[in-house]
Amino acid sequence: MVPQLSWYLALSAVLFTIGVVGVLIKRNVISMFMCIELMLNAVNLTFVAFSSFFRDVSGQLFVFIVMTVAAAEAAVGLGIIIAIFRNRESLDVDEASTLKL
Amino acid sequence: MVAQRNPLYGAISLIGVFISLACLYVTLAAPFIAAVQVIVYAGAIMVLVVFVIMLLNVEQEEPRPLRLRSLVPIAIGLAAVLFAETVFIIFFVQASPATPTQNISDVGLTRSIGDALFTSYLLPFEITSILLLMAVVGAMTLARRGGLLPANTAVVPGDQVFSRELLDRREPGDLTAVATHSTEEAGRLLGVESERHASDDD
Repeated sequence: MVPQLSWYLALSAVLFTIGVVGVLIKRNVISMFMCIELMLNAVNLTFVAFSSFFRDVSGQLFVFIVMTVAAAEAAVGLGIIIAIFRNRESLDVDEASTLKL
Repeated sequence: MVAQRNPLYGAISLIGVFISLACLYVTLAAPFIAAVQVIVYAGAIMVLVVFVIMLLNVEQEEPRPLRLRSLVPIAIGLAAVLFAETVFIIFFVQASPATPTQNISDVGLTRSIGDALFTSYLLPFEITSILLLMAVVGAMTLARRGGLLPANTAVVPGDQVFSRELLDRREPGDLTAVATHSTEEAGRLLGVESERHASDDD
């Protein structure tokens, strides 16, 4: 049974939905951060599936660039998380509800 | 991964998800992306996340009381609609016209990706490098501890420099620099007798 394009798209949609739900229900900053990574990976799966099914390399190049952006986001985001923890001694987003540090 | 209360278990589950996605990329004839997925995501990024989790000693989330209980039936209905849509797409939509042919394609290979990356997509590649540089500088700026003394303090080698906040607890936040020229002077300012004084008295 040859895999169809729609299978990959459905899996990608499910992964993205799980990521969105995680961002909405989690209160820990690091857990929310990991859910954002999960959403990025769902989009990557869509790109690779289309790229493979349409025989076009540009989708995989976009995945490459998305991974770079995710790495940069991880570095800056974790720096922000450490700064928040240093100021508040907590990672709960409900306690960091003001922009003032 | 979302169901875990301990963020460390969530991170390890996420590594499993990434490795499974890498396997899917291999089945989609994209070996380069699969390798980069394992190296960059499951390797670098998740190691960074696990490192931060262990550094900050994150506690488990405690369950909080359920609010908006009246909306639970609506939520269940919407979830059923979403699930039905997914099932509909998988089972009833005809196969897309772009079904992959069985012969070998070179789309996902490192060579074709490199060819495209350094010819027609050179500008995004360079912009990506600038983005990474900005991220490095930004992460360093964020993670650096703020200096205790103001920027215009002149630090003379051999002198001891204190902020006035350290010397006088009644003025918190006063970071004006106070310089002393010897250990005895510094000890007098801080209110502690230096050890050399104590040994002289003996």
